[in-house]
Amino acid sequence: MEIADKAMYDEARQRAIEAAFAGLVSQYSGTLYRVAYSVLRNAADAEDAVQEAFMRVLRHRETLDEVRDQRVWLIRIVWNIVLDRKRRAKTRPETDDVAELARVLPAGGLSAEERAAAAQHHARVLACVEQLPAKERQVLMLSAFEELTSVEIASVLGITESSVRSRLFRARNLMAGLLDHQRSLR
Amino acid sequence: MNSSTQKRFAGRTGSGGFPASGEFESTLRLIASLPAPEGLAERVQAGLRAAPAAASGASTGRTRILAWPAALRLENGWLQSSLARSAAAAAIAAVVAGGGWGVYSRVQLTQPQRGIALPRVAAPGGFQGAGAMRTPQTLNGPVAARTVTVGTQATKAAGKPTQTPVHRGKSAAARKAVAQPAAPAAK
Repeated sequence: MEIADKAMYDEARQRAIEAAFAGLVSQYSGTLYRVAYSVLRNAADAEDAVQEAFMRVLRHRETLDEVRDQRVWLIRIVWNIVLDRKRRAKTRPETDDVAELARVLPAGGLSAEERAAAAQHHARVLACVEQLPAKERQVLMLSAFEELTSVEIASVLGITESSVRSRLFRARNLMAGLLDHQRSLR
Repeated sequence: MNSSTQKRFAGRTGSGGFPASGEFESTLRLIASLPAPEGLAERVQAGLRAAPAAASGASTGRTRILAWPAALRLENGWLQSSLARSAAAAAIAAVVAGGGWGVYSRVQLTQPQRGIALPRVAAPGGFQGAGAMRTPQTLNGPVAARTVTVGTQATKAAGKPTQTPVHRGKSAAARKAVAQPAAPAAK
């Protein structure tokens, strides 16, 4: 009798975990995709990274209850995955970025020429971002997500909030200098 | 980017202001706010459903690189009968014993060396070992309480090896004949 009760309890618990997991996927897959895309800048790679992140979560689904902030936890997982992928992948040429940006950027009533020019401009900015030191670059990219506060960025990167602020300050200074330098070359 | 580059660019930005910050932040914000593709969640769900076994196996720590054939898995109940269990145990015992015997029969017991050869160091102009052997210090053997004298007689006898076979070869009658004088001839 006890064995039957335990089996029923286990089955109900399993169903609850699966339902919670499905909820996580539908709620956060968009956010994770945006985080992944901001680093990888390729739609297919970003989708793969999201898939891999949820695969990792699925392996540890028994411990989902112990996670305090699931959103930050998930972003941290996908962030580590995309950084790892980026490290392993060869450096993408800037032309790839332009083409990909031109494809994914919202049209917003722009003509084809204006759209191409906008894509080129964004690609140049992103090339400058790539020149930043890794620590500053990571903070800057995460700060662009309005969904993330500096405390949450600190939690994702495993650093203190004051470090986030100082790195962000340095990153902005460096970016401004890089863009000035690029403008003077043109 | 190294520190000199950082200093070079940091000097241009003025006092805490970010003249071009809006320019690059708008790009980053634009990318950060790109909408996720349609049906992403469904595709992720489908992908996770396609590989549930691997994921669940990993969660319980039962992932194996080598798996048993399906016919030999425990779930199939082949090990439930006592005959199969006995046969398996006997096979394991035979393999272990055979392996042990194989090792034992190949190992040759060698006599321990009494001395250790010193390594020859070919130092130019230096001394050499001249083939010297270092004998490791061992415990002293047992010492007899008093001197045994039997050993000295034995060593004397051992010093004259040629005489012994001559005496041994003569019989008692012959020795008697030699000792007595010759009898006078009969008249």
